[in-house]
Amino acid sequence: MGVATPDVLPGRRRVLAALGGGALLCGLAPLARAQAAPSPVVVLTSYPEEMMSRFEAAFERAHPQYRLQLRWRRPSDALTDLLKPGQDGVDVYWAASPRTFERLKETKALQTLGIDLSGLPAKLGGTRISDVDGLFVATELAGYGYVYAPAELARLGVPVPQDWRDLADPRLAGRIALPDPSRVGFAPVLVDIVLQAYGWEAGWALWSEIAGLSTLIRSGGGRVAEEVGPGRAAIGLSIDFFVAAAIAGGAPLRFAYPLHGGINPAHVALTAGAPNPAGGRAFAAFLLSEEGQRLLAAEDIRKLPVRPSVYATLPAGYHDPFAAAAAGGYAYDNEAGRARLTLVATLFAQMFIQGEQGHERYVALWSRIHAAERAGRDLRQIRALLGTPPLSERAAADPALLALFRERFEGESAELERIEVGWQWEAVKAWGEAERRLAALGA
Amino acid sequence: MRRAAFLAGAGLCLLPWLALPVAADEAHLVRDASREAYSLPFAGLGEYELERFRRGRGLFRQAWEVAPARDEDSDGLGPLYNRLTCAGCHPGNGRGRAPQGPDERMQSMLVRLSVEGRDPHGGPLPHPVYGEQFNEEAIPGVPGEGRAAVEWTYSEVVLADGERVELRRPRLVFKELGYGPLGRFMHSMRVGPPVFGLGLLEAVPQATLEALAAEAKPDGVRGRVNRVWSVERGETVAGRFGLKANAPDLRQQIASAMLGDLGITTTLFPAQNCTPAQTACRAAPDGGQPELMNAQLGDLEFYFAHLAVPARRDADAPQVRQGEALFGALGCALCHRPALTTGAHERFPRLSKRRIEPYTDLLVHDMGEGLADGRPDYLAGGREWRTPPLWGLGLLERVNGHGELLHDGRARNVLEAVLWHGGEAQAARDRVIRLPRAEREALLAFLRSL
Repeated sequence: MGVATPDVLPGRRRVLAALGGGALLCGLAPLARAQAAPSPVVVLTSYPEEMMSRFEAAFERAHPQYRLQLRWRRPSDALTDLLKPGQDGVDVYWAASPRTFERLKETKALQTLGIDLSGLPAKLGGTRISDVDGLFVATELAGYGYVYAPAELARLGVPVPQDWRDLADPRLAGRIALPDPSRVGFAPVLVDIVLQAYGWEAGWALWSEIAGLSTLIRSGGGRVAEEVGPGRAAIGLSIDFFVAAAIAGGAPLRFAYPLHGGINPAHVALTAGAPNPAGGRAFAAFLLSEEGQRLLAAEDIRKLPVRPSVYATLPAGYHDPFAAAAAGGYAYDNEAGRARLTLVATLFAQMFIQGEQGHERYVALWSRIHAAERAGRDLRQIRALLGTPPLSERAAADPALLALFRERFEGESAELERIEVGWQWEAVKAWGEAERRLAALGA
Repeated sequence: MRRAAFLAGAGLCLLPWLALPVAADEAHLVRDASREAYSLPFAGLGEYELERFRRGRGLFRQAWEVAPARDEDSDGLGPLYNRLTCAGCHPGNGRGRAPQGPDERMQSMLVRLSVEGRDPHGGPLPHPVYGEQFNEEAIPGVPGEGRAAVEWTYSEVVLADGERVELRRPRLVFKELGYGPLGRFMHSMRVGPPVFGLGLLEAVPQATLEALAAEAKPDGVRGRVNRVWSVERGETVAGRFGLKANAPDLRQQIASAMLGDLGITTTLFPAQNCTPAQTACRAAPDGGQPELMNAQLGDLEFYFAHLAVPARRDADAPQVRQGEALFGALGCALCHRPALTTGAHERFPRLSKRRIEPYTDLLVHDMGEGLADGRPDYLAGGREWRTPPLWGLGLLERVNGHGELLHDGRARNVLEAVLWHGGEAQAARDRVIRLPRAEREALLAFLRSL
């Protein structure tokens, strides 16, 4: 830093001298310099701007010999790009889309990352977070749970839910913000956490009631937190970082992790044909370094590091999923759930949503059920009508069916549409029957 | 002491149109001093309006993809571009910053280019090879235009009470040029400015700008309306957006930034941002024609138009009130007009008839050689800049994590920004330098309350 010579004469003359000298510099033409350019590291990602720009700046500061070229792709398009010959010149794929990484591994589109992974657990609770063969490695975690407005819950007389069953509280009618699993990217795992935690039948029955108490968020995961507040939802189902960023920004909200928790890992991988494998490895190593992991705690990011040692340096109260897992949380097995995520999201949409008007009808049904139950009616059979899925867990595990849904992740098919219409029809029949029986009971 | 004369000058802001009936509510103000303070909508928007606001916000935040992509609403990036998102240059709807050194990339700053002469409408003549804006990035298969790096030189100002203030000045270095030497050209560095309250500024009647320009003002302060080309109207009209007021309205400002910063075409600017010399750029795939549909442009416009303005904080604190009086007395308010009244906004009625406190006159002023970029833009000369609004200023640090100001981000805080004022603002700046420390602190406390 250049510092002007000391000057004991305060006042205008000194000021003019300083600014006038500078003005001369400004009049000069800018320089055009030739020097060795940093080598490009092409990273394909689907992260938001805040995440991209922070890591871009920090990586280039730490490794000035490389220049990051960030390309943004949704996971389905990223898969298309990375399955092309030449992989579009991409060195690194970095995203929160475990299914895409699995597909890339299956198609041999990745190479072993080949960096030091010491201090980085491969599992968290029931979930393997990094690939067993080292082809993709977890970079950060996001936890599922509840965003709530304490004052709104207090007004309703509802305690802060400790677990999913606590959400099935009629006092929360119309005050739960629920991301539509068929439209909001993180929500299918939410559905599956409950199915794994309570079992297929009990899990769907629980979702049936929660969906009947909820207002739907149809796009944008960040919208859930926005919907929670005075006069709107009292609680919302969300992934933590959307909410943590809002809370860090000053929003009067809280986030609670349920006893049956779940996490969604994001990963980094080196493409099989990486033009700059050394640069790609440097970037991956930076993401996983203490410095890179600490960036995740920035106010506008607020994700969970995968390097446990970093938590000691984070602000008090920062959720430590490794500590929670050691205490028995996070039994959810992502690997077991991954293959059926699209299926359960589709099933959820057909059983409980069926478009805006469909969901209104479904909510009205549950309102009648709760009213009748308050009047002492036993409506277990009607509840069962609404909460029983049109296929068993075993049928849902049929490899041929799952293959169809895996293809849906990459595009539509006529066969899938036929299956979906079938589920829709089963649900409509159940809704109609429930309405008929309620009417017969005078409810 | 000349202060009494300038107290009278401060009264200039009490213009006759302030007596017009205005909306009684303060729906355009948001009482939120959090990191979200620049990102909240007007109070009272209906569900349809909120949905539109959210769609616009989604477009503001979304990353644009190289075409083709499965989501046709978000493809068409480039071929040449600066960043992937609007939010990249306007983080949190606030202010970007300049690179802190030559090895740091321009994340929220860009460089405008032109050569001697004028385009057919009187605007800057784009560089024949590199175009109107230096685009560092490009989609695969298209060379980027190179790298623009910033080096800083430092000087020092000593205030009357002996306090020393270091100032820094950026120096631009072009590297790795993708299309050959730049030759003779002009350039201007621009940091992304805040984007809230823009609808209200658009709703200020042109007659108000003309009247402000026509007023006799002390200190050699003049100010004039820039006259710029309206693409939609096909005529020259008053300019009010952009750091040199080179855009006539919000819609054109958005469309211009979409093309210049992201390479996204609109019906206003339907041609890709490639010069004839950039052959690979011209042959690259597009994301539809236009890439940003009119409905999307409308959503973005609605979003910017309805981003509320942070309400002042601590306005009644004695030190703040003292600073507010000084702001007028020193002559700052001659250009940074404390209050304006909006007229009728045809499409967005919530913007109409509001008393607003933007601390700008939307006019361009000669700011002296120290701030000059030497690059004319329509009527705005190389030393002229539009008075930037000061509303929300006190929350900049909270929202953006820095306090950097001025068109190229050279000022690291408000005092440095004041010290860079020259030209028509020279007299006011010199008065600030002569202020006793307590009064200077009061002035800064007032500015923090905005």
